[in-house]
Amino acid sequence: MSDDAFLRVSEVSKWYGDEQVLDGVSFEMDRGDVTVLIGPSGSGKSTMLRCVNRLAEAQEGSITLDGEEVLSPDTDVDELRRDVGMVFQSFNLFAHLTATGNVALGPRRVLGLSEEEARDRAAAQLERVGLADQLDSYPAELSGGQQQRVGIARALAMEPKLMLFDEPTSALDPELIGEVLEVMRALVDEGMTMLVVTHEMSFARAVADEVVFLDDGRVVERGPPEQLFERPEKERTGRFLERIASHD
Amino acid sequence: MSVAGPLALAASNSLGALAGAASAAAPAASDAVVPAIGSIDPWLVGDPVDWWFVLRNVDYLGGGLALTVGLTVASILLGFLVGFPAGAVEVYGDGPAKRLVETVGVVLRGTPIVVILLVMYFVIGVPQVNLGIGSISPAISAGILGLGLRSAAYQSQIFRASLASVDDGQLEAGRAVGLSRFEAIRYVVVPQALRRSIPGFQNEFTIVLKDTSIVFAIGLAELLTRGYDLFTEQTTAVLEVILFISAIYFVLTFTTNRALDYLGTRYAIPEGESA
Amino acid sequence: MAGATRPRTVGERVADADPSAGRILLVAAGALFWGWLLVSWVNRWLGGAIAPVGEPLVAPETVEGAFAAVPGLAAVAADAAFVVELTPVLAQGTWLTVVITGVSLVCGFFIAVPLAVARVYGRFSAWLSLGYTELLRGTPLLAQLFVLYYGLNLAASVPAAVSGVFPRDVVWVAILGFTLNGAAYQAEYIRGAVESVDDGQITAGRAIGLSKLESIYYVVLPQALRYAIPSWTNEFVYLIKYSSLAGFITVPELYYRADQVATETFRYTAVFLVLGAMYLALVLTASKFMERVDDRVAIPGLGVDRER
Repeated sequence: MSDDAFLRVSEVSKWYGDEQVLDGVSFEMDRGDVTVLIGPSGSGKSTMLRCVNRLAEAQEGSITLDGEEVLSPDTDVDELRRDVGMVFQSFNLFAHLTATGNVALGPRRVLGLSEEEARDRAAAQLERVGLADQLDSYPAELSGGQQQRVGIARALAMEPKLMLFDEPTSALDPELIGEVLEVMRALVDEGMTMLVVTHEMSFARAVADEVVFLDDGRVVERGPPEQLFERPEKERTGRFLERIASHD
Repeated sequence: MSVAGPLALAASNSLGALAGAASAAAPAASDAVVPAIGSIDPWLVGDPVDWWFVLRNVDYLGGGLALTVGLTVASILLGFLVGFPAGAVEVYGDGPAKRLVETVGVVLRGTPIVVILLVMYFVIGVPQVNLGIGSISPAISAGILGLGLRSAAYQSQIFRASLASVDDGQLEAGRAVGLSRFEAIRYVVVPQALRRSIPGFQNEFTIVLKDTSIVFAIGLAELLTRGYDLFTEQTTAVLEVILFISAIYFVLTFTTNRALDYLGTRYAIPEGESA
Repeated sequence: MAGATRPRTVGERVADADPSAGRILLVAAGALFWGWLLVSWVNRWLGGAIAPVGEPLVAPETVEGAFAAVPGLAAVAADAAFVVELTPVLAQGTWLTVVITGVSLVCGFFIAVPLAVARVYGRFSAWLSLGYTELLRGTPLLAQLFVLYYGLNLAASVPAAVSGVFPRDVVWVAILGFTLNGAAYQAEYIRGAVESVDDGQITAGRAIGLSKLESIYYVVLPQALRYAIPSWTNEFVYLIKYSSLAGFITVPELYYRADQVATETFRYTAVFLVLGAMYLALVLTASKFMERVDDRVAIPGLGVDRER
């Protein structure tokens, strides 16, 4: 791809103790791209995602975001995370704060907005994910789908350049998955740059610009969804897709 | 120290009863020969002369230690014998019995141990207890009764919580195989509950051990009281004496805790924690 | 309202009325207790505006007369009068007990939070914190007070700035002792609560750009301190009771004053029973108060239902 890629991951490797979880992973994204990471559990997808905002530390390789080296020791990690939003599989909403409080905490404490500005921004983001009527609800009072939408609003409130989604629908009951995917689709339409780990193949097929198939910490195959899903080049990819399909 | 004063006499008469004859010796005189001590180590806390004073009186403190340990063991046992049934009554009992146990528990848990000891000693006036081999003085009985009953009130809460934490299905399953209610509690619930009580019991053990120091108030010559007697005799040795006995207490609580830790892992039921 | 639909049996009415009657009695006793304490304290500060300082608010003779007039209570009339005579001394001692407990608890809290955080998130500092709590929790509080008072003779070196705030400088030594000791216990409770906060909470805080300390401060602690309230209430109650040990280093708090009266008058029974009741009232008030606090700061889903 082009040299001025927005996010460039090259030859990233990581070990937990003796166990290698990432083995020379490379891919790149342009601004506005949607890349979906797929693969069996334990293949390193989530770890790869976390290396991008340094919630996990890669030991080898390079990741550049908007031209800046992410893995450099000089990188201000807190500043990096301001620019990279993250949505978690288990939501991780702040349990002691209302929906508004959850979304407003970052703008208030990290961006230094006033209390009022932060609340206004939170209200706007919650409206964006369709939760204008739940501003004062605590996480425990919301359904899983609603909680995950708060999680998305919380990340959006930092006005990130890149959004990371770590299996955002895996912890949800089937009937609640749709509302979260709908919000994500709307973000795609707005032109948000998104790196997504998911098992929702129909979502990947519909919105991804590129799909990356990881297995055993390695990139087995990557390409546009129609190619990867219809005509996988590698046997492993085909087997994985078959297994997933038989579960649907 | 209004209480300790007049009672010191009574106490020094009684202290040997539990601890045995070895403990009754008076503090060694402070002007005995001090061995030549070379250069004074700058890292040494206190004065070598005073440390030597402590060392010469180790036997005297040992007598106090014996009483401390004796009081602790006796009080914990009494606390268990009274506290376990009390906890069971709070879980399985009803009506007046339950209310009585709860009320007494609230009173004992809501009153400082020093006040409980004073009430046992002065108000209830526990008499001297004669055993075949020797007698237990009123002060010692009051100490055991006060510490023991107060501990019973806390132990009842530990057992109440652990009994209640055993799933109701266990009781039902016991009944289903034909055990009576009492048998089901006795053979199914209690064994599980006792294991779950170990952490709370551990805590309680060290609390009782440390609180034996408060029988100071009724003049019982346990470890801390004997330390007090020592440093009032040689006032320059105050810090050395207290640090020394604090170290003894620390070793006692530390080893007890580790021992009960071991017990806890030894008798743990696999996956038993998930209630 | 259910009672309107069908006639209730006498038994049901008694069962319904009984707890509420007991409750009313308890609340009334509490109101009397705190009313008496507050009026006594205010009276002392105002230099005897209501009753001469050192005199009971109600004349013992009046109480004795009132008791004597009621059959069944006549036998304890003299004791009642004696207890009334004690009230000024008790009120004075209770003031010190309350102040020592309150100040030590609050000061201890501010030491305990960093200790707990260091224990969970620190490396070297975790060992320091562990050493501190093990040492302070492994030795008797009374021995610690003796170290400060007799061993280090701290009463002689109370800073001039705070000297004279209390009738005796030794009160500061007691406060120091209870603060250091209480901090160790509070740190244990708070540590347990901090550990029970899900790791994902910190991760989420870090993901929006908070530093680790900020995540602990804004995300973990607000949750952990709520979890800690019930066990923290225990520490509050412990401190009220163990503040009596200050009497052993001549702090004229409640126990010390009552003990003095008992040895002077030899009326151990009356004095010590009243003393016990006083502490019981303080302890019950504290735990009721903390229950209210717990309710007030409760957040849906927090503490009650920790598993997701």
